[in-house]
Amino acid sequence: MNSPDNSRLHPAAARDRSEQQEIDASAKWPVIVFFGSAILWLLIGGALQLVASIQLHTPAFLADCEWFTHGRVAPAAQNALVYGWGMNAGFAFTLWLMARLSAAALRSGGWLFVAATFWNLGVALGIAGILTGYSTSYELLEMPRFVSLLLLGSYLLIGVWAVTTFSIRNTEQVFASQWYILGAAFWFPWLYLVARLLLSTSPVGGVVQAIVNVWYVNGVLNLWFAPLALAAAYYFLPKILGKPIYDYYVAVIGFWWFAICSAFAGGARLIGGPVPAWVATLGGVASMLVIAAVVIIGVNLLGTLSGNFAKAQKSATLRFILLSIVGFFLASLLNFALSIRSFAEIAQFTFISELRDWLLLYACFSTAMFGAAYFFLPRVTGKVWRAPVLISAHYASTALGILALVAGLFAAGWQQGQMLNDANVLFPAITQTLIPWLTFRSVALMLLSIGHVAFLINFVWIACPINSQSTAAATIENPPELEAHKA
Amino acid sequence: MKNGLFIFVGAFATLALSWAGVVLTAHNQLGGLTQYKDPVDDALYPQPLSGLANQGRLVYQDLGCVSCHTQQVRREGFGSDVGEHSRKWGQRQSVARDYIGEGSVLIGTNRIGPDLRNVGTRYQDAEYFYKLLYAPETKFAGVPMAPGMPAHKFLFEVRPVGSVQASHQAIKTLPDGTEVVPTRRAQALVAYLLSLKDTYEYPEAKPFVESAEKKEGH
Repeated sequence: MNSPDNSRLHPAAARDRSEQQEIDASAKWPVIVFFGSAILWLLIGGALQLVASIQLHTPAFLADCEWFTHGRVAPAAQNALVYGWGMNAGFAFTLWLMARLSAAALRSGGWLFVAATFWNLGVALGIAGILTGYSTSYELLEMPRFVSLLLLGSYLLIGVWAVTTFSIRNTEQVFASQWYILGAAFWFPWLYLVARLLLSTSPVGGVVQAIVNVWYVNGVLNLWFAPLALAAAYYFLPKILGKPIYDYYVAVIGFWWFAICSAFAGGARLIGGPVPAWVATLGGVASMLVIAAVVIIGVNLLGTLSGNFAKAQKSATLRFILLSIVGFFLASLLNFALSIRSFAEIAQFTFISELRDWLLLYACFSTAMFGAAYFFLPRVTGKVWRAPVLISAHYASTALGILALVAGLFAAGWQQGQMLNDANVLFPAITQTLIPWLTFRSVALMLLSIGHVAFLINFVWIACPINSQSTAAATIENPPELEAHKA
Repeated sequence: MKNGLFIFVGAFATLALSWAGVVLTAHNQLGGLTQYKDPVDDALYPQPLSGLANQGRLVYQDLGCVSCHTQQVRREGFGSDVGEHSRKWGQRQSVARDYIGEGSVLIGTNRIGPDLRNVGTRYQDAEYFYKLLYAPETKFAGVPMAPGMPAHKFLFEVRPVGSVQASHQAIKTLPDGTEVVPTRRAQALVAYLLSLKDTYEYPEAKPFVESAEKKEGH
């Protein structure tokens, strides 16, 4: 990578930079393989999600094809987005950032490619299993049982390299992003293993299954996807603005507080359910306490941002990261609201509870990965983005789509909840009233898909080995040097 | 924090605590729930599903009905599930004991469609469910069924009418001399739906006195 800034740096910094280039280059192929599969799954999952969404306002759409009946397409889409897009993108981001922050090259041999192959094989088999009738119907664990070993085995193989890179680190300090990455790397396999054991291998009885299920769903969203999005925010804000994290010393409290409270928050999803009242109460209290961590994280991130907003808007990465931070706050707020009984009485079981998970998975996590990719892909490939206009298109469609879906799903869900609680409104009337909202939702999802296609085109250009020349102007400047992170 | 081991142990402890606090505690409390023996007729409740209904539960699971339907009735005064001016989705709230005999417990998170926990008390006619699954957008006895629900025509077989008369199972005969007959899976699913009724009053399912007072206040 010929960085125009190198000439201006003093010799030591230039040496550091060339070391960093080596580290980035060591992550090149793993990052391209994982991120490439992630984008493919994003398109597949997006298409399935669109089908499921269309079916809600046009029930006859693909209804006669058993594989595409709504009850199968909807979980297939969700699984493609979570395990196909989300996890693959998370792997690419984690491996690269871990190598960078540990100042150690990623030395995995071919193992990461083996892991990538088996992970994607597992996801593909799992989604095929859901569509062909082998679903378990447990939320986010719908994939048939036999894929668990494939997924878990490949995950461990990937996680080992992230942890190994960390353990051979050449740095004194361990930065906030690394805590979040390490936490997430450890949490997911335990969550997944325990949930699979207790639901499929030797199932617990009765409603304990529902409790295990919400424990897992809450865990995978708040202890895997949210931490990775936060790792990105903690890394890119100071990196690109050239300014250390504001009040960094509280970040460690924020991390542990967030982890402990989030881990307990799952029960709030069972408010009013056939479970002992303490399950929902404990979850509700944890969901409220987690707000303290969100405030601390907010102080860190927004404090760093303050006064630099115009500068942040110039970077494609930071524009996406800002979306991600907003998404994180909104998701935490909605999670908090849904743990209040009077709000849950109306909003539970409606599109608002769907919005809660979507906010975290898409508005918070996916945008963070988009932003991260706009930063790391040029650096690992040594090329620049060829079509900045596609980046703008991607950003515009993402921002608009998120705005539309947040407003639309919230309004729809609120109306739905009020009608559900009014026994005078007959059920067919609820369906009828929601049709305009659901159509709006399909349009918003299409808008997001347009952004995904723009992203894919740019990705192919930058990742394809044949295209060795960088033709367009660099869209991301080399970030200023960052000093003084004291843990 | 400089120490990787510290992060590792801390992360482990966090999740282990939440597992012990939520999952294990709930399991200790509920895992031992058994059927309730009625003091009068000595029968055990909840009664196990019939073989066919249990197969139907698997069809319910593989078709992903849980994407749109819950199977949990909230207590009186919380939402509008049960009670006097309610959707009458049951006679009482659901309790943990209702679910102990089920292989997979799918209480659901979405009410795009109505709650199904007691659908077997609301409709006791298998024909209703067959027509609902075959053509939910049509009317049954003059009342619209479920216009928002997708049809499940693949659960039915269209075959020529036999030489003498249509099969007694046929839900519909078509003008071209064919009839629509539910497959085995449709029969199992309908048997399962018909079996969904929590009517037995367990001691723990008695409504709270507090909610009765609240109602008077309105």
